[in-house]
Amino acid sequence: MTAGSPPPAVAAAVAARLGCSVDAADEARAAWIVGGVTPALVARPAAADELAATVGAVAAAGGALVPLGRGAHRDLGHAPTRYDVALVTDRLARLLDYAPADMTVTVEAGVTLAELSAALAREGQWLAIEPPLPAATTVGGLLAADRSGWLAASQGRVRDVVIGIGVVTADGVRARGGGRVVKNVAGYDLMKLFIGSLGSLAVVTDATFKVRPLPERQHGLVLRGRTASAGLALGAAVEGALAVAVAGPLGSGPDTAAVVVRLGGVEADVGAQRARVRELARRHGAEVELDADAADPAVAARFSMVRDFPVSGAGRLAVRFACLPSRLDALVRGARAAVARLRGAWHADPRRGIALLEVAEAEGAAATLAELARVAVAHAAHLVVERWPLALASGIAVWRPMPAALPLMRRMKAALDPVGVLAPGRFVGRI
Amino acid sequence: MGSDGVIADAAARTVYECDGYTLERAVPDLVVLPRSTDEVARVLRAAWRAGVPFVPRGAGTGLSGGCLAAPARLVVGTSRMRAIRAIDVPNRRVTAEAGVVNAEVSRVVRAAGLHYAPDPSSQNACTIGGNVAENSGGPHTLKYGVTTNHVLAVELVLPDGEVVPLGDGVDDGVGYDLTGVVCGAEGTMGIVTAATLRLVPLPESVVTLLAVFATVAEASATVSAIIAAGIVPAALEMMDRTIVAAVEAAFRVGFPTDAGAVLIIEIDGDAAGLPATAQRIEDLCRRDGAREVRRAVDAAARAALWTSRKRAFGAVGRLSPSYCTQDGVVPRTRLPEILARIEDAAARYGLRIGNVFHAGDGNIHPIVLYDERDPEEAARALAAGRDILRACLELGGSVTGEHGIGVEKMAELALAFGTDDLALMRRVRGVFDPDGRANPGKIFPTPGGCVEPRAPRRRAAL
Repeated sequence: MTAGSPPPAVAAAVAARLGCSVDAADEARAAWIVGGVTPALVARPAAADELAATVGAVAAAGGALVPLGRGAHRDLGHAPTRYDVALVTDRLARLLDYAPADMTVTVEAGVTLAELSAALAREGQWLAIEPPLPAATTVGGLLAADRSGWLAASQGRVRDVVIGIGVVTADGVRARGGGRVVKNVAGYDLMKLFIGSLGSLAVVTDATFKVRPLPERQHGLVLRGRTASAGLALGAAVEGALAVAVAGPLGSGPDTAAVVVRLGGVEADVGAQRARVRELARRHGAEVELDADAADPAVAARFSMVRDFPVSGAGRLAVRFACLPSRLDALVRGARAAVARLRGAWHADPRRGIALLEVAEAEGAAATLAELARVAVAHAAHLVVERWPLALASGIAVWRPMPAALPLMRRMKAALDPVGVLAPGRFVGRI
Repeated sequence: MGSDGVIADAAARTVYECDGYTLERAVPDLVVLPRSTDEVARVLRAAWRAGVPFVPRGAGTGLSGGCLAAPARLVVGTSRMRAIRAIDVPNRRVTAEAGVVNAEVSRVVRAAGLHYAPDPSSQNACTIGGNVAENSGGPHTLKYGVTTNHVLAVELVLPDGEVVPLGDGVDDGVGYDLTGVVCGAEGTMGIVTAATLRLVPLPESVVTLLAVFATVAEASATVSAIIAAGIVPAALEMMDRTIVAAVEAAFRVGFPTDAGAVLIIEIDGDAAGLPATAQRIEDLCRRDGAREVRRAVDAAARAALWTSRKRAFGAVGRLSPSYCTQDGVVPRTRLPEILARIEDAAARYGLRIGNVFHAGDGNIHPIVLYDERDPEEAARALAAGRDILRACLELGGSVTGEHGIGVEKMAELALAFGTDDLALMRRVRGVFDPDGRANPGKIFPTPGGCVEPRAPRRRAAL
């Protein structure tokens, strides 16, 4: 995708109207390239009202913007069809309200998950969501890209923990949904609409989460399955863990898999769970490679590796499959076979039916992708191309299959953003 | 649809004049009871062509008038859509049609060691379609979440009769989360005819405690202490003196009728850690003044406790000719304040108000006792309820935690949200229902169109 320069008139009009700092320097713009497209301006409002004014100004000038936090997840989605302004929310970084005894917290969109976790940990609590790269993931990015992370099977997804939201709509108007209490059915659940919408319906200014007490103890085990299938079967059999991830290499090397199990709870529970996991491992013929407290450096390192996968080189092909958990083993076998000639790695969550693949070689990516798409169809899986070599950019299908409700989704976009101010072309079906 | 699928007879239609919210009634002009998604689609298409709006209805156990047959006069009931289309034990999913009763879902998967977690008090009558429309809760939502957290996909019939599957049962959907938008939309986006639900394993072990306190204040402090100790019970429920007395008179489960308040505290999970956690809870209760803490010794004792809790509202009928139940939410640390405000309201209006509620969630259910034969007293009961909801908002809460807005709280919704918020919600509604055919006159306050209710009446309640 070529970096389509916006008409200078739009950039000038936007700059003239904006109430917040804008930056048109080449260096600033280059830092916010999305899908190969460079914005004409970078706007970094310091408050929600300023953000609303910015969106209003862009809309009035007939421009288009892409909302961004720190850009950690911007690889996800199609290249924007128009992109005048990078609307960066990192200065909206206040913790607005935290009542530990109520177990709710309200934060602005630019707060990172690492910062939020630190604030919560001081009170013995956590937001039980661990996205990849928490230090570079803002609350806005977490919601927009729906980065539910590897705890989702036991702790729920982003959609399960957001109880209130503040947004700015495409016309620059601020609106709210939900509230600050854990149970609330007053009005529509707007949180669900905006989570995972990649900024295509509104810009998130703040969110309220329900939080939980930190587990008294956390513990990690790494088990070595003899084959990928054995590892997946073992992982699926583990009940009651905070998280289970199964990982292995691509390519023609030995067929083996590591099963990373994260346990949490009161001392007695963790002890009992640990014994159960070890017994399961024995019955599945798996070796125990690691069995230690979560604070152990080796365990902590494995946890971060799983959490952040796939984080390596920009431009590498990375895909995500989602299928019924019962189909995961066959899907992983199919996917590994399809890319047997290539190097890389796969990770899977056996309880959610999620598999992630990252391929090291850039060449032949189009053919690889076509193979993987066939595997997805064979197992009724969703396939999301999370990242791809730039050479592939034109014509790539980021999501498949298209949902049956796509016409309704197009109508939703048309109702909330009729002229395409917000991340035009980025979302499913190039909405 | 066959002669039994269309109810035109005047007497038979009267059954459909209200739901659990009986303050407003309207006998529908016509009730249709389709048996399949296709029949729902054909009914809606015919209504669409004729320009007739409709009201979706499940079992009619709602508590906010969400299926009141006004202003739309055509009721489309899903009670005959009772098929369980798929039970998928390996993937822990069930696909149930809208008319399947909530408790039935858990019943059919129990042998596999699974259950459907949301458990509204009306679970032996209320339907999955109604649960999705209202985003229903229940006592165990504290740990397990409400309906929306357990719905993976729905089949939606749009007001023009088009059938649209939202989601396909795979956990990570593609595109906007319209399933999440439709949950809790109270039938204003169309009719949900089936839902794919997530099942969870039955807990390995359960401990249920009954803690007896002299005052509501002590019980409230204990609720905060349990939460502050980092314990997330499966359920944490409170009943005050008025309700305990009524429940005991009705069910004789052995509640001390001289207690100021009782807490029902349930924890579940691994057998290994539960005894220690139960002991910690017991210690906290005693520290905060519990004069007695009992443990349900077996499944039968536990069931008796829950039966009494879930039927508490019915038991109130013994105390008063009429009663009305409110549903509000406050941040849980504000429970003592809202309880004081409820007491103030009771004194101000010269009424008795009992309290039974989901304390762990801060979800209150004050029950205002009155006599509907006395219009002046009825008006005071109504005013007391509205004062309590306003107090919830002032304390940072919500005007409904699980009963919905329906027709009951349209005015309160306008207090909870600003004009721009409501305008955005209306725009979202317009995507599904551009002409306002699906359950019009609900949720959103209409300028000048708000009916001032006559007087509250007795309601069966959650």
